Amino acid sequence: MEIKLLLPRKYRLIGWILVVPSTVVMVMSMYFDFSLPFLNYVGKGTHISLDPTFIWNIQSHNFTGDIAGVLLLTGLLMVAFSKEKIEDERTQRLRLESLLWAVYLNSILIILAIILCYGTLFLNVMIYNICSTLVFFIARFRWVMYKEALS
Amino acid sequence: MKNDLKVQRAIQGLTQAQLAEKVHVSRQTINAIESNKYVPSTVLALKIAGVFKRRVEEIFLLEEGD
Repeated sequence: MEIKLLLPRKYRLIGWILVVPSTVVMVMSMYFDFSLPFLNYVGKGTHISLDPTFIWNIQSHNFTGDIAGVLLLTGLLMVAFSKEKIEDERTQRLRLESLLWAVYLNSILIILAIILCYGTLFLNVMIYNICSTLVFFIARFRWVMYKEALS
Repeated sequence: MKNDLKVQRAIQGLTQAQLAEKVHVSRQTINAIESNKYVPSTVLALKIAGVFKRRVEEIFLLEEGD
């Protein structure tokens, strides 16, 4: 049985190559105000209606964190959803189970964050939430596959 | 569901890895089926039965509660 929605296996390596540097840049831009000067943007003053913080309306912005975020998410998707060496029906079962597990865990943590975290702290949690489901999924799926390999 | 896979394999002198290769799954999957941790799809059950030249219900048997 062929699952068409998975990526070819080589994307796992490409994914990791994207994930590692973009994670570093994300953390540095979040906590140390790191930004790459060439990603600075100053608006020309043209406004269209819609929210003033929508892309067409922003007056000045540095896109370091944004681009790192896009690359991080792309890389995580590649790591998470590239095929295994032998991708059979049991692998797919384990994959789906791990995905369900990750969604449950992430939702529980978000519920806790809504109750426990406010202001900037909550905002930070929301930033982590961008990729946490995928990170939980990858961790759980790799662990399950590791245990399988030992059996 | 229980199965007779291990015995059938022994009769044919096949290892888990050899059987896995014949039906295009990983060795771990065969191991999981043998230890009743995983119920194979109909397609895989038919393929396994094909390797042993037996009927599916001679290898895979329903248990009480299934």
